[in-house]
Amino acid sequence: MRVETHTCPNCGTVVAANVLERDRRLRCPGLDCGEILDFTDLSEEVREHYETNRDRYRLE
Amino acid sequence: MKGLILAGGTGSRLRPITHTGPKQLVPVANKPVIQYGIEDLREAGITEIGIVLGDKGREEIQSFLGDGSEFGVNITYIIQGEPLGLAHAAACARDFVGDDDFVMYLGDNIFKRGLTEMVERYETGEYAASIALQHVDTPRQFGIANVDGERTVTELIEKPDEPPTDLALVGVYLFSSAIFDAIDELEPSWRGELEITDAIQSLIEDGHAIDSHVVDGWWKDTGKPEDIIGANRLVLEDIEATNDGEVHPEADLTGRVDIGTGTTIKAGAVIRGPVRLGENVTVGPDSYIGPYTAIGDDSTVGGPHIENSVVVGKSELTADTRLVDCLLGRGANIASADGLLPEGNRLVVGENSNLKL
Ligand SMILES: [Zn+2]
Repeated sequence: MRVETHTCPNCGTVVAANVLERDRRLRCPGLDCGEILDFTDLSEEVREHYETNRDRYRLE
Repeated sequence: MKGLILAGGTGSRLRPITHTGPKQLVPVANKPVIQYGIEDLREAGITEIGIVLGDKGREEIQSFLGDGSEFGVNITYIIQGEPLGLAHAAACARDFVGDDDFVMYLGDNIFKRGLTEMVERYETGEYAASIALQHVDTPRQFGIANVDGERTVTELIEKPDEPPTDLALVGVYLFSSAIFDAIDELEPSWRGELEITDAIQSLIEDGHAIDSHVVDGWWKDTGKPEDIIGANRLVLEDIEATNDGEVHPEADLTGRVDIGTGTTIKAGAVIRGPVRLGENVTVGPDSYIGPYTAIGDDSTVGGPHIENSVVVGKSELTADTRLVDCLLGRGANIASADGLLPEGNRLVVGENSNLKL
């Protein structure tokens, strides 16, 4: 199964694409970072894959 | 070589302890479980470490480990989100790992002997992966490996009805970057997870050589309260007696007792090691601390008989009672109900607690 990630440009924390797809827009989970990460930080092709296959990246 | 410690998971089997923090920070012999993994990696010469975090407990784990410098390592955090399986966690680390080999270590596991021998053997051969194994009494309950005379893995079987060996997979794996291509081809299992055993099995089927290493000494998965108490016992077996505190000459200490800074043991207290006391612990008269007990920082023991137990910290234990095989969460207090009317226990107990009175 395809697994994509995005790296925070500010602190280097790696965030799985399924988290970005689920939360859409979030404060970087790196402690004290504050960078806003957005689903659109992923390429269009990756976004489309995650939206099409949403159920496979969710347990429930 | 890089290291990857998996620290997601919900810790549901350790409730209520994990209501207030992740299972990887539950202390064994007064040291959070995850720190054992960090130290094993560092001792094997691995200082670039990725920590995979789920949705739960990620702030606490980052607060404890920071950038790793306090532990002599350099940490990158990887946010997996939902627990989509060990192979999904590994795949989230693909950019972090790059073309290196890496150790994948389950963050709630503890090994007596560390990783050095496994890593050295892996590096001398041409392997796509290596797995840690241990002999178990109940192979039907585990993922089991079949190995040939050279210890090369020929097959992995999940909870087999007719186990070919008693060698169970335990929580350490070594991988080359070939594992990522195998994960790419995987489909989620019946439970919706990407299984690392499926990825390894596909490496075998593609003709890759997988080494195995039977771990020397004990191994513990600390997923349940009795496992924490068991791991605590095993770690305390090997401690040395030290005294950075104050012991009254009329206190009675025998066996190995490790006493932290600022800790006071008063006249009339009895301690039978192996016992570890953290910092700023007070042990009063008429208290007995028996073998295989660890008492965390800022606790007071004044009255009970306690043995084979883990007290996380900030507890006041003042009841004249016998406590055995206990796991007490941070700030849990046990005082006496003597003299209170009507007679009876007075309990304020969190969700999912277990008491045997
Ligand atoms: Zn960040």
